Amino acid sequence: MAVQDATSEVLVDTLERSLRNRRIAKHVGIFLTLTLLWELGSRMGWLDPLFYPRPSNIIRSFWLIYFQNANVWFHLYSTISLVIIGWVLGSMLGIGLGALVGFNTVIRRFLKPYVIVLEATPRIAVAPLLIAALGFGVNSKLAIIMLVCFFAPFINTLSGVINVNEERLELFRSMRASKTQILRKLVLPDAIPVIMAGERLALTAALSGALVAEFIQRDKGIGSLILVYTRNLNMASAFACIFTLTIIGFLIFKGMEKLDHYIAYWKYEGGRERMSSKRKRTMVEP
Amino acid sequence: MVKHEQSMAAAGDVVVSGLNVGKTFAAGTVVALENANFDIKRGSFVSLVGPSGCGKSTLLRLVSGLIEPTSGEIEVHGTPVNGPRADISMMFQKATLLDWRTSLENVLLPTEINGTPSKADKNRALDLLKLVGLEDFAFSFPAQLSGGMQQRVALARLLQTGADILLLDEPFGALDEFTREHLNTELMRIVAEVRATAIFVTHNITEAIFLADQVVVMTSRPGRMAKIINVDLERPRPLSIQTSVEFNKLVEDVRETLGAV
Repeated sequence: MAVQDATSEVLVDTLERSLRNRRIAKHVGIFLTLTLLWELGSRMGWLDPLFYPRPSNIIRSFWLIYFQNANVWFHLYSTISLVIIGWVLGSMLGIGLGALVGFNTVIRRFLKPYVIVLEATPRIAVAPLLIAALGFGVNSKLAIIMLVCFFAPFINTLSGVINVNEERLELFRSMRASKTQILRKLVLPDAIPVIMAGERLALTAALSGALVAEFIQRDKGIGSLILVYTRNLNMASAFACIFTLTIIGFLIFKGMEKLDHYIAYWKYEGGRERMSSKRKRTMVEP
Repeated sequence: MVKHEQSMAAAGDVVVSGLNVGKTFAAGTVVALENANFDIKRGSFVSLVGPSGCGKSTLLRLVSGLIEPTSGEIEVHGTPVNGPRADISMMFQKATLLDWRTSLENVLLPTEINGTPSKADKNRALDLLKLVGLEDFAFSFPAQLSGGMQQRVALARLLQTGADILLLDEPFGALDEFTREHLNTELMRIVAEVRATAIFVTHNITEAIFLADQVVVMTSRPGRMAKIINVDLERPRPLSIQTSVEFNKLVEDVRETLGAV
């Protein structure tokens, strides 16, 4: 029986794998066909090569900006470091203020109309004003990124803190928990998954914010590089930059997913299993 | 009220008592509980049974100190109740476990709130998990447990405080019939084992009688205690007792009280 189960398991495994391989093959096939059509369209003159550069040229541009000229690294470093610093600062501010406002009903009532007004205003519209106030350079760029990063964590933390399960709250009260204990052992851990969702939105927003700041300031960063290439009608290199951003965006998405699995482990089966055996080990060993 | 006068003689043995307890909500427009008088003896199991709106949960929450009475007074161990206290432990209809904690950590929560859990506290929690039949699930998270198992963890947590008065607000009401019956039998065994006094709220007449030494029948609008019925069935009680003649007489008595008012 056990042997049979094991064999059938292996069988199902191989079947699943071969199905997945076939699916991947299909996707790759479609992608290659589309790319080839694009290449062909450019070569045949159906697409204006000025605005729609050939895929082969884009690949060549990748090689140029990354290796031959290697000029992209400087800008990449500038953008990524700004995004990370702005994201951390902006979202920390958002989480902190969100928690503060969530816990204090008086502040909450007072701030609510302003929050609604600010939420309805596109944050990026304020970018030129921030540059006017803080001048060109790192400060205003950071300020713009922080601004676009602030809201999602702020709103999510606020709602996470406010929407505490009434029954759990009653449980804590019946156990005579202090306010600090309710905060540390119930409210904050309970809000972690929704705060993480806010952080994910914020990091994506940070990248867009950085690009806008770089479009305006045109000194350095991937955004200013795209601007320069487009003005010089070097569309292949502009596309190479855009695809670079695609890869960064994808990495951000995956990275945040990993982080969420790590921090909000109880939301995922794998995370629960990992922590379960970890707790067991730490309980038994010492 | 009858009950109150009856048991005055054994006052030393009374652990929970209420005198003219009343509770109104919405600035006096909703009378949740009116003029409740009761004495609960040490080690007894009391069921509060009645339709929704009869004030049974309100009465339980008044005893727990989570809410304050509008009139009258409740005493536990001879001191008036004015807030949640250490000698009372409470369990709710939902397991209300913390998703990010393992079973063991959930059971340890009340100990953590009182201070840092010692090695002995941890062993006690493990023993309690064994008592509720979950020794193999001490390191599982709530999402890895069934509804019935989650309530078992909540039961272990209830006992972890060491309080000798247990308040149970329809603890198995959200579970299926079979699981509930099973857990009721377990509950009876465990409460007897730890020698606690239990107040159990339910709207299930059979369950109320099966578990209790005394059944308080409550009626609604306004919520009041209509009758206290003594259940003189032998312990331990097998599930089959529910089909006996004595048992069904008690059921009828409860039904009549509920229907008559």
